[in-house]
Amino acid sequence: MGRYLLKRLLLMIPVVLITSLVIYGAMNLTGGDPALALAPDNATEAQVEMIREELGLNDPFIVRYLKYMGGMLKGDLGTSYVTNKDVFKTYMQRLPNTLELGCASVFVAVLIAIPLGIYTAINQNTWKDNVGMVFALFGVSMPNFWLGLMLVLLFSLRLHWLPSSGRNGLASLILPALTVGMGLAALITRTTRSSMLDVLRQDYMRTARAKGADERRVIFRHGLKNALIPIITVIGMQLSNVLTGSVLAETVFAWPGVGRLIFDSISKRDTPMVTGCIILSCVLMSLVNVLVDVLYAFFDPRIKAQYVRRER
Amino acid sequence: MSAVTKSTVTTAKPVTKMKSRSQGQEAWRRLKKNKGAMLGLAFLILLVVVAIISGYIFDYETDVIGINPAEKLQKPSAQHWFGTDNLGRDIFARVLYGSRYSLVIGVGSVFIGLVIGVLCGALAGYYGGMVDQVVMRINDMLYAVPNIMIAVVIVSLFGTSTFNLLLSLCVTVATAFTRIARASVMTIRQQEFVEAAYAMGLPTWKVIFKHILPNCLSPIIVQATLSIGTTIINASSLSFLGIGIPSPAPEWGAMLSEGRNFIRNSGYICVIPGLAIMFTVLALNLLGDGVRDALDPKLKK
Amino acid sequence: MSDLILDIQDLVVNYETDDGIVHAVNGLNLQLEKKKTLGLVGETGAGKTTTALSILNLVPNPPGVIRNGRIILDGEDVLQKSPKELQKMRGNDVAMIFQDPMTALNPVMTVGEQIAESILLHENVTQAEAFERAKEMLRQVGIPDSRAYDYPHQFSGGMRQRVVIAIALACNPKLLIADEPTTALDVTIQAQVLELMKELIRKYEMAVLLITHDLGVVAEVCDEVAVIYAGKVVEKGTADDIFNHTLHPYTEGLFNSMPNLKKKGEDLEPIKGMMPDPMNLPEGCAFAERCPYASDACLRVNPELRKVSDTHWVACRAYEDERFQLRRYQHA
Repeated sequence: MGRYLLKRLLLMIPVVLITSLVIYGAMNLTGGDPALALAPDNATEAQVEMIREELGLNDPFIVRYLKYMGGMLKGDLGTSYVTNKDVFKTYMQRLPNTLELGCASVFVAVLIAIPLGIYTAINQNTWKDNVGMVFALFGVSMPNFWLGLMLVLLFSLRLHWLPSSGRNGLASLILPALTVGMGLAALITRTTRSSMLDVLRQDYMRTARAKGADERRVIFRHGLKNALIPIITVIGMQLSNVLTGSVLAETVFAWPGVGRLIFDSISKRDTPMVTGCIILSCVLMSLVNVLVDVLYAFFDPRIKAQYVRRER
Repeated sequence: MSAVTKSTVTTAKPVTKMKSRSQGQEAWRRLKKNKGAMLGLAFLILLVVVAIISGYIFDYETDVIGINPAEKLQKPSAQHWFGTDNLGRDIFARVLYGSRYSLVIGVGSVFIGLVIGVLCGALAGYYGGMVDQVVMRINDMLYAVPNIMIAVVIVSLFGTSTFNLLLSLCVTVATAFTRIARASVMTIRQQEFVEAAYAMGLPTWKVIFKHILPNCLSPIIVQATLSIGTTIINASSLSFLGIGIPSPAPEWGAMLSEGRNFIRNSGYICVIPGLAIMFTVLALNLLGDGVRDALDPKLKK
Repeated sequence: MSDLILDIQDLVVNYETDDGIVHAVNGLNLQLEKKKTLGLVGETGAGKTTTALSILNLVPNPPGVIRNGRIILDGEDVLQKSPKELQKMRGNDVAMIFQDPMTALNPVMTVGEQIAESILLHENVTQAEAFERAKEMLRQVGIPDSRAYDYPHQFSGGMRQRVVIAIALACNPKLLIADEPTTALDVTIQAQVLELMKELIRKYEMAVLLITHDLGVVAEVCDEVAVIYAGKVVEKGTADDIFNHTLHPYTEGLFNSMPNLKKKGEDLEPIKGMMPDPMNLPEGCAFAERCPYASDACLRVNPELRKVSDTHWVACRAYEDERFQLRRYQHA
C-alpha cells in the first residue's frame, strides 16, 4: 500500500509539468503585451522596451519556460504584475482561508446529506422520501450566491446573530460554510440515496437480518459501509472544486480566499499570478485525488487488493 | 436488383421512426402521470408567455431602465408590487422582463452547446482511436475547469458582452454533451442494426444521422432540460460577478448584484430576483427528472 | 404434537403491488418433527422461498404481507413475536441458508468477522472468543482457519456456501432452513456440499427444512417430503411414501418429467401447461387445468389435505373414489 501511495505521488510530477507547460503557454502567448500594461501612460517606447528586458519578455518562449520551471523548483513562481508581491507567498497566505471554508463546507454538507440520503432510501416512495427529495431539489435549484444573500439578510441583518462578511473567528465561518455546503449537500444526498437503494436490495442485507441483527446494525454496518464508494467519489469531486476556490461565496462574504484571487488576477491580466495559482491549484487537486484513492482502499478490501496486487 | 434494395431501404426507415413515435407517445403518457414534472412544465409555459408578453406590455426605455429618482427604494406596495430599486425602477417590471434574458440565454447556449457537443462526441465515439483520445482529452480539461473561470478568461480577453457570455456558457454545456453523445454512440455503434445499415451500402454520415443518433436521443433530451437550468444559474452567477450581461439590463443575477449594496435597509431587492431564478431552475429540474423517468422507467425502480 | 419443532397452520402470504396482488402462499400447512429432515419440493414460483422467509418473519414488507396463519416454532407463534424477540430467535433458534452464495456474504467484512457476528449477537462472549469460535466453525465446514482473515471475494462459490453454512450453524440452531443450497453450484461441488450438510445435520442433531426443486437431492438427504404447488402443500409423507407410493397427479408429473436412464430413447414427458398466474388463481384446484385426471368438480372446489395413512396426506378430489390409482400404478 505504501509503495502504491509513493507511485501515485510521483505520478503527480509529470501531470504538474504538463499542466504548467499548457498554462504557461496559454497565458503567455495570448493576450496583450504586459510591458505596455505595466508602463505608465506617458512612457516612451524606450522605457517600455526597458520594462520588457527587465521582465525577460524578449527571450524565446522555451527559455522563458525553463527559467520559470527552474524558479518553480525553488518555490519562486514570479511576482505579480499588479501587486508586485511574490506569487507563491500570496497564494499561501490565502490558501488556509480557502482550506478552512472548503473543509467546513464539506463537513456541513456531509452532516446533512448522508443521514438524509440514508433516511430517504430506507423510506423510499413514502412521503418522507418525497420531502427529502424536494429539499435536495431546492438545494440544487438555488443559486448559491443568492442563498448567501438570504442567509445574511436573516442571520446578520435581522437577527444580528452572525457577522455578514470578512474572516475573523468561528462565527464568521458559519454563514459562508452553510452557503457553499447546502449546494454540495443536495448533490451528495442524491448520490447517497441512490447508492443506498442499490445496497438495500443486496442479498447480504437479508443474510444479516437472518442472523438476528437489528435494523440499525443492518443499515449501518452492512449497508452504509458498502454504499460508501460512490459517495466518497462525489465528496472527493466536490472537495476538489471547493478547495480551488468558491468565487461566489468568497465574493458575497468578502472571504479572502484563493478563488477570488484567481478571478481578480485573470480580470487584471496578472499573468504570473494566474499561472502560479492555477499550477498550485492543480497540485492541490491531485493531492485530494490521492487522498480519495486511499479512502477507497480503506473502505473496500476489493480495491485495496488491486493496489496491493500491483506491488507484487 | 435495385428494386429489391429500394424496398429494403424504405422498410428500414419506418422501423426506426415507428419505434420512436410509439416510444414518444408512451413516454409522454408516463410523463403526464408525474405531478412534479407537470407542475414544472406548467410553470415554464407560463414563464415563456410572460417573456413574450413583457415585450409588449412594458416599454423598455420607460418601464424597465428608466431612472426615477423620486421613487427610489420604496418597499413593496400596491403601486409597485415588488417595490423599487435604488434608481427608482419598478422591480416587478424588471423581473418579468428579465425572464427574456434568462430564457434566451439558457435555451440559446444549450442549443449551440448541444450541437457542438453532440457532434464532437459522436465523432469521438464513432471513430475511436486517435480522434477519440484527442477529443476526450480536450473535453476532460474543459470539463474540469469551473464555468466561472472559463468565463473570466474569455471576458478578460474579449470584453464583457452578451455574446461572450453565450460563448463561455456554450463551452461548459458542450463538454457535458460530448461525454453523453460519445457514450451513447459507442454503445449503439456495436449493435447489429448498424452493421445491417452498412451492409445495405449506406454512406457513413447517413448511418450516423439516421440510425445511430436517433437512438441516443433519450439521454440527450434529459441532459438538455437539466442543462438549461444549470446554464441559467451560471449566467446569473456571472452577471452577479459583473462579467455577464452588462447593465442596465434587468438580468436577474445583475439585479442581485446591484441590490446587494442596499441589502441593509431594502432587503426585498435581493429576494425576488433570486426567487425567480430558483423557481425557473426548479421547474426545469422537475421536468428534467420527469423526462428521465418517463424515457427509462427501469431506472426509477 | 410436542415432538414438533415447526407447525405451520393455514399460512396465507400475499405480495401487494401496484399491478395487483400476488397470492404467493395460499393456506399452507406443514409440520416438521425435531431432528428430522423435510424436503419441500416444488417448481420456481410455487411459494417455497416465501414460506421459508415467513418462518423467520422476514418477508419483505412492503410489498409482502402475511394475511393469515400461525407459525409455531418450538411452541411459540413466530408471527406474534415482537421485533426484539424475532432478533433473538433468528440465527439462534432457527437459521437460514440462501440460494446464491456469491451474493449472500458482505463483501467488505472478513469471513471470520461474519461468522463471529452471529455468535456475538446471541451469546455473551468477547470479540476474541467469538473469533476463535468462528475459526472453529470454519474447520467444521472444511476450510483452514487461517482463512478467517480473508474476504468473500477471495473464495470460490462452493467455499462461500460453506462459509454461509458455518454462519448458520454457529449458534447451534434447532431448525435449519436451507433454500436451494446447492442449486447455484457446479455439479461436483454440489455433491461435496451435500455431503458436508448431511454430516453436520447428523452431528448437530438439527431439524432441517430443505427447499429444492431437485428430487435427486431429496432422495439423498430427506426423511420426509412435502410437495408444494401454487402456494399449497398438495402431498406430504415420508420419502418412501412419496417416491414409491406417489398419490398426487402433480407429483407423478414431476417424476415423469425427470430424465430416466432406463427409458433412454423415449421422449421426455413434461407436464402440460404452466403454473397458474399467482395474481389470478383459479377458484378450484390450482392444478386442475393441467391435470390428466381432473373432473368438472375439480375446477370448482379447492381440495384440502386428507389423511391416507399415518404418515401420508394428499390434497386431491380423485381420492374420494377409493379405487382411484395414478397411471404409473395402473400397469402394475
